[in-house]
Amino acid sequence: MTGLVTVLGSGAMTNTINGILDSDVMLVIGSNTTETHPIIGLRMLAAAKNGSKLIVADPRRIKLCDSADHWMQQRPGTDGALINALCHVILRDGLEDKEYIAERAENFDAFKESIADCTPELAEKITGVSESVIEEAAHTFAKGKAAGIYYTMGITQHTSGTDNVYALANLAVITGNLGKAGAGLNPLRGQNNVQGSSDMGCLPHFFPGYQKWDDEAAKAKFAELWETPVSDKLGLMATEMPDAINEGKLAGLWIMGENPILSDPNSDHARKAFEKLDCLVVQDIFLTETAEIADVVLPAASFAEKDGTFANTERKVQRVRRAVPPPGDARDDLSIINMVSNRMLGNRKGGFQGASDPIYHTVPPFAGEVFTEITKCWVAMAGMSYERIEEQGLAWPCPDTDHPGTPILHENGFPRGKAWLSAVTWNGPAELPDEEYPFVLTTGRVLYQYHTGTMTRRSEVLEASAPSAYVEMHPADAESLKVNDQEMVRASSRRGSIDLAVRITDRVSKGLVFVPFHYKEASVNLLTNDALDPKCKIPEAKVCAIQITKIDV
Amino acid sequence: MSTVTLNINGNEIVAEEGLTILEVAKRSDIAIPTLCYIKGKPADNPCKMCVVEVEGQDDLMRSCVTLARDGMSIQTDSEAVITHRQERLATLSETHFGDCKAPCNLTCPGQINVQGYIAHVSRGEYEEALRLVMERNPVPFSVGRVCPRFCETRCRRILIDEPVSINHLKRFVADWCMTHDIDLKISKDKPTGKRIAVIGGGPAGLTAAWYLTRKGHEATIFEAAPKLGGALRYGFPEYKIPNEIVDYEVNTILRMGINIRLSQKWGKDFSLQDLKGMGFDAIFIGIGATVDVPFDVPCTDKANVYTATKFLRMINDGKDLDLGRTAAVIGGNNIAMEVARSLLRKGVEQVTIVYPRARLEMPANQRNVREAEKEGVQFLLMASPSGLCAVPDEHNRLKLDLIRMKLGEPDKRGKREILPIPESTSSLGVDTVVSSLGQMSVDGMMTGGELEEQLAIKPNGMFVANPRSAETSVEGVFAGGDAATGSKSVIQAVVSARRAANNINAYVMDCEKDPADNRFNFTRGKGFDDVSLKNFDGIGINLREKMPERPPEVSTQDFDEVKLGFTEKMAKREADRCLKCGCTAFERCDLKRLDIDLNVNINKTGMGKEPIYPIDTSHRAITVDPNKCIYCGRCERSCEYDALEVRAESIDEKGRPVGLVIDFKDHCVSCGKCVDNCSTGALNKNNRIVPIQSEEIREVRTTCPYCGTGCQMILKIKGHTLMEVTADPDMAPNYGDLCVKGRFGHNFIQHPDRLKTPLIRRHKGGPLEPVKWVDALDFMAQAFSSILGQKGPDALAGLSSARCTIEENYAFQKFFRSGIGTNNIDHCARY
Repeated sequence: MTGLVTVLGSGAMTNTINGILDSDVMLVIGSNTTETHPIIGLRMLAAAKNGSKLIVADPRRIKLCDSADHWMQQRPGTDGALINALCHVILRDGLEDKEYIAERAENFDAFKESIADCTPELAEKITGVSESVIEEAAHTFAKGKAAGIYYTMGITQHTSGTDNVYALANLAVITGNLGKAGAGLNPLRGQNNVQGSSDMGCLPHFFPGYQKWDDEAAKAKFAELWETPVSDKLGLMATEMPDAINEGKLAGLWIMGENPILSDPNSDHARKAFEKLDCLVVQDIFLTETAEIADVVLPAASFAEKDGTFANTERKVQRVRRAVPPPGDARDDLSIINMVSNRMLGNRKGGFQGASDPIYHTVPPFAGEVFTEITKCWVAMAGMSYERIEEQGLAWPCPDTDHPGTPILHENGFPRGKAWLSAVTWNGPAELPDEEYPFVLTTGRVLYQYHTGTMTRRSEVLEASAPSAYVEMHPADAESLKVNDQEMVRASSRRGSIDLAVRITDRVSKGLVFVPFHYKEASVNLLTNDALDPKCKIPEAKVCAIQITKIDV
Repeated sequence: MSTVTLNINGNEIVAEEGLTILEVAKRSDIAIPTLCYIKGKPADNPCKMCVVEVEGQDDLMRSCVTLARDGMSIQTDSEAVITHRQERLATLSETHFGDCKAPCNLTCPGQINVQGYIAHVSRGEYEEALRLVMERNPVPFSVGRVCPRFCETRCRRILIDEPVSINHLKRFVADWCMTHDIDLKISKDKPTGKRIAVIGGGPAGLTAAWYLTRKGHEATIFEAAPKLGGALRYGFPEYKIPNEIVDYEVNTILRMGINIRLSQKWGKDFSLQDLKGMGFDAIFIGIGATVDVPFDVPCTDKANVYTATKFLRMINDGKDLDLGRTAAVIGGNNIAMEVARSLLRKGVEQVTIVYPRARLEMPANQRNVREAEKEGVQFLLMASPSGLCAVPDEHNRLKLDLIRMKLGEPDKRGKREILPIPESTSSLGVDTVVSSLGQMSVDGMMTGGELEEQLAIKPNGMFVANPRSAETSVEGVFAGGDAATGSKSVIQAVVSARRAANNINAYVMDCEKDPADNRFNFTRGKGFDDVSLKNFDGIGINLREKMPERPPEVSTQDFDEVKLGFTEKMAKREADRCLKCGCTAFERCDLKRLDIDLNVNINKTGMGKEPIYPIDTSHRAITVDPNKCIYCGRCERSCEYDALEVRAESIDEKGRPVGLVIDFKDHCVSCGKCVDNCSTGALNKNNRIVPIQSEEIREVRTTCPYCGTGCQMILKIKGHTLMEVTADPDMAPNYGDLCVKGRFGHNFIQHPDRLKTPLIRRHKGGPLEPVKWVDALDFMAQAFSSILGQKGPDALAGLSSARCTIEENYAFQKFFRSGIGTNNIDHCARY
C-alpha cells in the first residue's frame, strides 16, 4: 500500500475482478491465485482459455503454471531483480508506450538510467530464471493491448516489499497499462476488509481516507468532526509495538479481531512482549492464542451477526448483513466499541446508551449512522449510502450521490498528477541460506484453510480437506535427507523450530521448501523473520533460511 | 444493438437480438419451467420442459435453444405445452426414488420438523433444536413428557430394530435449555397495534397467545385459576409434569411479552361483550374441557365419590384427602390412568380400573395403560358400574355394583357393541370411587352475557368452531384446543390453537392466511409393507436408548417425576439412530416444485419404488444419491473445474438413464456449485442435514468474510442457524461462483468454542474468569484510565482487524484518536 500511494497517490487495486476477462496479458507474480483467491483464479483461467496470455512468476509450480504461457520460477526474494529485468528488456527493445510515458509519467530518464544494468543476464544469475524466458515474458507483456498485473503477499512480505511494488508500478506505467479495462496494477487483498480497514485510517500515519496524520488541514477537519483535538505525534505501527512494550512505552493494548501471536513472524517475540503489558484487551469470537494471555477478553460477533460494510479488493464497498444474533452474551464489535467508549469517556455525548433491543443488544450509534459519518469525512465515499449499495456495491471514488463509482482507477490521470517512475535498486532478502540453514523457506496459504485457522479449522469440510501442517520439499532434497513422503521432520530457523510432515513434490524447486501458516500445532511463524521493510514496516514473512532434520521415531 | 420484436402470450416484447426465447421470457418475467438449463451450456440430454408453441411450427420448440426472432408469436402455456410438460414430469418422476418428508414428520399432528431437530441434536445444537420445535409447538417441555408420539409409530427404524425415541429427544433439548438457562431470543414481528383476548391459560391459550404475539399483536390471557398452565398444571399430576417445569414453560412463553389476568373467570368476572368493550380486536376461546361428564348411575352423590378433573385438581392443589385403602376408577381414558396412579401415590393400597370393554379398546394410550399396570393398578375389564346404592361391608366405605359385559355383533365400522350379561351382577367394595368418563367444555349453555348465549355449543358440550377457520358462531370470536375438539392430546390442542391464531391474524389484519403445508410427497413407501428392505442395506441393529426411570416401588411413594430424562450422551447416541428419511433438498427441489405447479399426481403416474444405487458418501463435502437423479446434467455443466462426470450405461425408451454413474474426479476442489445446481436431492452438502420445510426460512444477502474478492453470498437462515450458503448467478463479482470456503467454511459461527461471555484476569498469573459486561467494562476502563493518567495517551494502542467492518474500523480508530488522543492505531494485515 505504501508503495502504491507513493508512486500513484492511491493504494488499491486499479481494476476490477471481472475485467480480467478483458485482458490480453496477465502477469501473476507472488500470488497463488487459485488457492488464495479461487474466484479470481477462475476468471484468470477463463481468460487464459479465451486466449489471454498468462505469465506466472512464482518460485513454486502453482496450479496456474499449468495454464501459463510463461512460467518464471524465480528464487524467493528476488522479485525486484526479475521485474527490473522485464522493464530493462522492454526499454531495450523499444516496446514501451512512449506517448503514455510522455503524457502521464515523470522521472523517466532517471528510472531508465537506474535499470540500465538490470540485464536479463544479470537477472538470470540472481533469480535463476533463464534469460530467454525473461525476454519472452517481457515481449508478451509489452505487446498486450491490455496487460494486467496481479500480486499478493508474495511481493510485499519481504524486506524489499515496497521496492517490489515500485518496480511493478514502473512496469505498468511504461507499458501504458494504467487507466484502462483489463489492465492495471492489482494487489489482491488477502482478507475480506483489508481495503476497508486501511481506508478507515486504522493506520498510524493516516486518518480515514489516507489523509495524512500531520496534514494541518486534515487535523483541523477531524478535530472539528470529532469535537476534540487530535494528536501531534506519529503513532506506532503494529510491527513496532512489541519493541515499544519492551521499552516500557506501551502499557495498554486493545486488539480487535486479530491473533498476532500466531500470525506474526517471529511470533514468540510478540508473545513475550504482550505478556509484559499492564493491560491486554482482546476482542474476538474465539479464545485465540492471543486472547489466552489477555487480561480482558470481549466476546465479539462473526460477520453473520452484524451489520456494516466491507470494501473488497476492487475498492467496492458492499453490505454485510446481520443474519443471526451473536451467541450467548457476545456482542457485535461496533456495540462493544460504543460500550467501551461510553464507559471510558464519561458518556461525553448524551449519557450512557443502554442496549436497544432484547435479542441483539446493539448499542448506538449503529452501523448506518457511522457510515453516514464516514461519508462526511472522506470525499471518495461521499456519494455512498446504504440505500445506494443495497443491491450492488460501489467502488470508490464515489464523490457525490449521482456518481456511479469508479471501477477503473486513473483513466484520466493520477491523484498525484503524473505517475512517479522510481529508481528501484533491488535488495536481496535479509536472510539467505548458508551451511547451517541450507533451505529457503517460503510460506503461504492453502485453499481449504484461512489465516490462523480460527474459522476454517472449525468447519468440518475444510478441516477434513487439509487437516495438518506439512512442508513441501523437492524429491532430490528429500532423498538427500533420506525422508519419505509423510514422514515427520523438524524444521528450525535461528528463531525457533516446528515438527511437521514432509510432502514430496516438484511444485517446489531444489533448496526451496514451502509451509502453510494456518496450523498452530506447527506454527511456521515461529521460524520466519521479523526483519521489516524499512518503508512500510512489513515483515519478511515470505523468505528465511532454515534447516531440516529427520525426526527418528 | 439490434433488437427483435416478438409476441409472447399476447404481449409484445422488444428484445436484444441473439437471445433465446427462454432468455427473453426470463427478462420479461415470464416463467418458463426448465430442469436442465445452464446459461450458455445446452444439455446433451435435454429435459424438454421449456418447450413452447411457436406460431407456424408444427412441433413444440425448446425455448432454451430457439433464438427469438422478429415477428415470432409464442405461447408458453398453451394446453399442448402443458400436456407435454406434464408427460415429461411424469416420466422423470416415475424413476425418482426418495422421501420428500420423513414419515415421522408427516405423522406428527403438529407437522413438526422431527428429522430436523434430531439432526440438530446429533450435532449438539440443542438450542437450535428447541427453536425448531418451538416454531410449531411452544410447549415442548410438557409435550416432551406427555406426547402420545404418533411420530414414533411410523418411524422406519422399526423395520430394522426399534423406532427412534423421538419424544425423549424433544424432552432432552427442552430440559437442556432449561438447565443451561438459555434465552432462545425468539423474534417477533413489528407491533401491529391489534389486541387479542385469549380466554384460558392452558396449552391452547398459551399457544394462541404465543403465535399472536410473534405476529406482532398484543395478546392478553384471561385465566380463571390463580396460575397459568391449565391442563399442564392441573390435569397432569406432578410425576408426569412437575410444577417447576410448567412454571418454566409458562415463563418461556410469557417472555415474549404477553399480558396476563389471573383468577378471572369467564362468565363470572367478565363477558365477551366486556372484552369487546375493552377494545380487543378478536377473542380466542381456549378454555379446554374441564367439566366432567357425570357419573350417571344411582347414588353417586355419596361422600368419597369424585369426578376425575375435580379430583386431579385437588391433588395438584395439595389438598389433604382421606382416600382410604382401596379405590375404583371408572373409565379407560388417559385421565383415568392418571387418577389411578395418583391414588396409589396418595397411599391407596389397591386401585382398580373398571372398564366395560377389552383392554386394547381403552381410549387411553396403551403406553399409559402399561405404566399404570407396572405401578400396580389393577384392571377389571368387561364390567360396567350400575350403582353405588348398596350398603358396604365393614371394611369398605362404598360398594360398587357391577354388571359383566360381553361383546355383540360388529357394527358397520367393525366395532363390536357391548352387551350386559344378564344377571351377572357382582360388586366391588372400595373406599373411594373416581369416575373418568370424559370431559366437556361447557355443561349446557354458556351464560354470562348476550354474546355468550349466541355461542353455539355442540351436544357433547364443545364449542362449535369451524375446523378450518376456528370461527365460532359469534363474529370475531374463535375457539380451539379441547374447548372445540373435545379432550385430546396436548400436541393436538397446540395444533388447533396454532391454526386458530393463523386465522385470527388473517381476520384482524384482513390478509390471507399462511398457506397450509402441501401434501405432495414422494415416498419410499407409504406403509411399512411398501418399503423395500434394500433401503437399509448395511445398517446394523442398534437398539434405542432406555429412558432412565425410578422403579415403581419407589416412584409410587411420592409425586416426583418418574422418568428422569436422557443424558447428553444418550441423546446424541439416540439421535444418531435416525435414518434421515426426509430429503434435505426439500426447499430447493425443482422436480417437486414443478410437479406441484403443474398438478402432476405422482400417486397415479408413479414414482420410484426401490433403491437401485447405493448412496455414495465418499466425497468429503458432498453426498450423492443417484436414486434421486433425473439426469438433467446441470451439475456436470455448471462445474467450473470440469471435475464431475455423469454418465449412463444406456438410455431407456423414455430417455432415462440406466446404469447411472456420478463421478467426482480427483481434482475436484469441493466448491459445491454442482449441489446448488442440482435439480433434485441427488447431490447434497454433507453438512446440510436439517431439512428446511414449510416453516420460515430467511435468505440474507451478504459478503464473504474470507479473502478480499468480496463474493456475494446468500445465507439461508433457519432459527438462529446458518443452514447453507449459496450465491446468486446474477450478482457481481462472483456471479454464482463460490469457493469451498464460501460454501462450506461457515460452520465456525455456531461452533461450541465461540466466546459467549466477557472474561477478565483479575491478577497477573491468575485465571480468566467469566463476568458480566458491566464488570468487564469497569475492569478495562479502570486499567486503561490508569495507564492514561500515569503514562499519557501514547502508552495505549489499538490493533484493528481486516476482518471487521468499515464502520467498526472507523469507530475503533476514532476511539483512539479522539477519545484517547493517540495515533497508535494499526491493523495487522495492512500490507
